[in-house]
This record gives sequence, C-alpha cells and structure tokens, in this order.
Amino acid sequence: MIVVEEVYKRFGAVIALDGVCFVARDGEITGLIGPNGAGKTTTLRVLYTVLKPDRGRALVDGFDTVAETRAVQRRIGVLADSRGLYPRLTAREHVRYFGRLHGLGGPLLEGEIERLFERLDMGEIADRRAAGFSKGQTMKVALARALVHRPANVLLDEPTNGLDVGASRGVRDLIREIRDQGRCVLFSSHLMHEVASLCDRIVIIGHGRVLAEGTPAGLRRETGTDDLEDAFLVATKGHG
Amino acid sequence: MDLRLIAVVFAKEVIDNLRDRRSVLLALFYPFFGPVLVGTMIVLVGQAITNLPTTVFTLPVVGAARAPELIAFLKDNEARVIAAPDDPETAVRSGARDVVLVIPDGYAQKLDSEASATVRVIVDGSRLSATLAMSRTLTLLREYAHVVATRRLEAYGVDPRAAEPLSIRSVNVSVGKNLVGFFLNMMPPFIIFTIFVGGVYLAIDATTGERERGSMEPLLTAPISRGGLMLGKVGAALVFTATALAVHLAAFLAMFQIVSAGDLGLVNPPGVATFSVIFLISTPLMLLAVALQTVIAAVSRSLKETQTYLGLLPLVPSLPGLVLVFVAVEAQGWMMVVPGFGQTVLIGLLVRGEPIALGDALIASAVVLALAAALLTVAAWLYGRERMVLGNT
Repeated sequence: MIVVEEVYKRFGAVIALDGVCFVARDGEITGLIGPNGAGKTTTLRVLYTVLKPDRGRALVDGFDTVAETRAVQRRIGVLADSRGLYPRLTAREHVRYFGRLHGLGGPLLEGEIERLFERLDMGEIADRRAAGFSKGQTMKVALARALVHRPANVLLDEPTNGLDVGASRGVRDLIREIRDQGRCVLFSSHLMHEVASLCDRIVIIGHGRVLAEGTPAGLRRETGTDDLEDAFLVATKGHG
Repeated sequence: MDLRLIAVVFAKEVIDNLRDRRSVLLALFYPFFGPVLVGTMIVLVGQAITNLPTTVFTLPVVGAARAPELIAFLKDNEARVIAAPDDPETAVRSGARDVVLVIPDGYAQKLDSEASATVRVIVDGSRLSATLAMSRTLTLLREYAHVVATRRLEAYGVDPRAAEPLSIRSVNVSVGKNLVGFFLNMMPPFIIFTIFVGGVYLAIDATTGERERGSMEPLLTAPISRGGLMLGKVGAALVFTATALAVHLAAFLAMFQIVSAGDLGLVNPPGVATFSVIFLISTPLMLLAVALQTVIAAVSRSLKETQTYLGLLPLVPSLPGLVLVFVAVEAQGWMMVVPGFGQTVLIGLLVRGEPIALGDALIASAVVLALAAALLTVAAWLYGRERMVLGNT
C-alpha cells in the first residue's frame, strides 16, 4: 500500500509537486494520469526513493521513503523512467544482478528468473547480450528485473511507452495478474484508453497537484461526462 | 553496510568490463608499452656505448704533407685522414663534412723554430651531429700539442710536470653500467601513468556510463546504500588498476632479463623483490587514482567530458617523475607529503637499487591513503545526490 501525503518538490524555480496527496491500495491498480510535465514521474521518483520530497512524506507499507529508504526499497519493484540495460550482459544476467541485490540467490533465484522469462516469453533472448535489443525486448528485461524479488508494491513509469500493440497487451495482462495476486500496482500513463481499461482507481494529476481521484465510474459521474477522456479534459481544464 | 551486496556490485562490474575490449586493452596490453620502449632504448644506447671507443672517424685534412708527424699521431689515434675537398668551408657548411683540419703554409718552419704554429679547425658549431667529430679532433690536437710541449721542455732539462700544475682526469660515472641506468629513471613516471590509466575505463563506465545509458536510476532503487554501491564499483576499478600495474611490472622484469642477457652493461637490474616492494608502495596510490576517477566521473556532465578529464589526468602525477629523469634529487621529507610525488621518488630509489627509509614509505602511504579516504567520502556524497539520477546539468 502506498500513501502520498502533501508532497512538495521543486527544482530551482520550477514547482514539480505542489502538495500531492493520494493512496494506492493493495489488490488494486492505481493509474497516475496527466499531461506531460504534470508531475507523474517526479511523484514516482519520490516513491521509489531517488528523489526526496521538500515537504510532506510518502509511505510504502507504512515505511517512510526518506527515513526508512532500505525498507521501502525491499518492498518495491520499479520500472523507472530510464530503463537502460548493460549492453555486455545477457538478459538473464540483468535479472540475476537485481535478484542478488535484493538478497536472493541459488536455485530460488534461478527458478524465479525462469518463471518470469516464461511468463514474459523471453526464452529466445534469455542468454543473449542486451546490445541491439529492440524496445520491446528491453522493456521485458526491465520488467523482469523489477519483478524478480516478487515485490508487494509495483511502480511502473509509462510501462507501455513505445511498445507495439501485442507487447502493450502483454504488459497490461501482467499488470492485472500482479493485481490479482493482491499486490499494489501504481503506474503512470498519458494514454486515457489504457488507464480506462486497466485501472481500479485513477489519480488525475496536473501542475503538481491532484486534480481528481476516484474509480473510472466515479470520475465520470463527478465530471458529468460519459467518457473518461472527457472527464480527464474537464478535470485538467485550466491546468494543462 | 552490507558487504555481500557490495560484492554483488563488484562481481557484476568485473564481469561486465572483462567483456569490454577497451577496459581489457587498458589493463592488459597498454602496460607493455613502457617496458618495450625503455627496453628498446637500453638496447640501442647499449650498442652505441659498446661501439663508441672503436669508432674510426674520418678527418679531412688540407696540407697533410706539411705535418707528417701530426698526421702519424692522428692515424695512431683512430683518425682516418683523407684529402680535404677543394672548398672546405662550403663542405662543412653544407654538411658534406663534419670537420676539416687545415695545416697552413709555414707550419713546419714555425714548429721547428720552437715558435707557436697555427692550425685551423673548420666546424659548424650549430650542427649537433658534428659535435662528436669536432670534439675528437680538438682533443687529439691538444694531446699532440702536449706531446710536443713535453718534448721541448725535456730538451731544456725542465720537468714537464712544472708546466702542468693540474693534471685533469675526468671520470664519467655515467659511462658503462650507469649510462644504461639513466633509463631506470624513466620507470617511475611510466609506473605512475599506468596506475592512473589501468582502471580508468571501468571507472568511467561504472559511473558516468551507468548514468548516461539510463541504468543508474533502476540501480538506485535497489536496497543497497549509495556508498556501498560506489564502493563495489571502486573495488572493481581497483582490481583492473592492480592488474595493469602487475602486468606493467612483470613486463619491466622480463625486459630487464632479456636486455641484461645481452651483456649491454646493465649490472644488477631490479628483480622480483624490488618489484614486489614497488607494487606494495603503489597500492595506496591505486586507491587514490580510482577514488579521483570516481569523483570526476560523478561530477561530469557527460561521458565525453569524463573521458576528456580522465584522459589528461594521468599526465599530472606523472610529470614530476618525467622531470626527475633529467634532474637527480635526494629523497627529502617534504617530498613524502606530496601525494604521488613521494611514491615517484621512492620508486626511483628502488629501481636504482638505492635504500629507502621505512619512515618515508609510511608517511607517503599515510598521506595518500588519507586523501583517498577523503575522496571516497566525497564520491559517496556525490552518489547520494539527486543529480545522480537527474544529471549534472
């Protein structure tokens, strides 16, 4: 479970987060949606511990991202904004590296890697070096290394960005599967149809503030629109 | 700090960089360059020294017939006397001849009348290649003048030593075994250079490279402290640096064995024991090099910028050593507290087979270790900054 309480963050003169507040529950998919530059990535970066809030706090399973960084890191699986690979390591070595950094090892780790590779259909690239991987293949490796330690909270920054139709559907299926295991999924997107089809709850963010929050049906009701895209436009009106 | 996690990062960096051609080249092949260069120079200079005394030099002479005794003296002293060209001055100016001796008319009469006879030596003082012929000609002429003077004094019943109050015998200690030893002085700057180059590619790749290829951000979400992450990377760069230095010293050792086998005047070259001490003395400097590389890699804005800075860095600590090749200094206390310079001086003493003071070695090591520790603290702080993800823009 993820709780974000009144988080402020500025970079020089730019206010990136202006009191962001929301909750992402276990067993639910929470979508963070907003126009480019709204503060989605900054919010996720605070949650996955690479940025510190200027004010306010973010909690993962009750642990503070600043005061209890290590405890938070052990409970999250992250598909970060940048998802670069090591060109000289194989897909398997990437996932093994992150597994070991999470304290896993031996047959347990190797079994988990095998299971993930099967689930993500990575058999073909498992023992190939990452140099020359396609965007889709890179994404699969990045997802596998984010999930290898079976984190209770999964944070995904634009997980389908740049993927083709088939690969996007695969990722969406995986996200649902993680939710169905009772885990907490928080992902960001700027694609309304993706959020609409996936999310149990939606957080609309703009100019560093939460503009609206609720279930897709609730949001439609609140904004008096039939369509989520319209709801989004109504919510972000004057903020975009 | 979890040592196990540091070991995970260390192992990943070592394996990753063992697959990188540039890292392996720097650690395993570049270290051969210095020893091969020094070895070649020792062989060439050794041959030059061996050949020097027996070299017969050619001396064109104008009017050789006017001074049969002088010509005989010159011939006895390894000079091959030939007829001079028609225009000796032009021949020397153009470089066709290094030197021409001119014996003028009336030479014999003046010499016989016990007056001072004049001979002219035509040289081009600006031409370095003619220096040897010029100096040999002048030396032989002075020696001949000395012979004639001695003979005259004896004829008057005067002890020739009365006219020679100072007998000069120059002893050139550099000739023979020690001239080759000059090249031993070239080793310290090569060694220092290798220390600052051996692991540099790994240091660049593991910090600036990691950020630039976008793998730093996911890595920073793993449950390992930033300091621990940095130490794992530093450890891997240290292994590559140590490997480079070991290869470098082994190549020097092999070179000395090959070269001295040729009996080129190198007596008692540094052996395994000396090189082991050099490696030991270099250890703190290796840590300093890697710490410095990591700090620079962490503050640079781009891979290109890091490569520029770290490409120039090895020259800085190597420069004092290059100066010491030409200027001999004695080890002094203040030198030991200058990071890198103390090691340069100590390594210089070791390769020349001179004793070093344990106190000096300890002070030099302590200073460098303290600086390395300070730099590692800075590196850990830099790793902890948000800029590690956002970039140094």
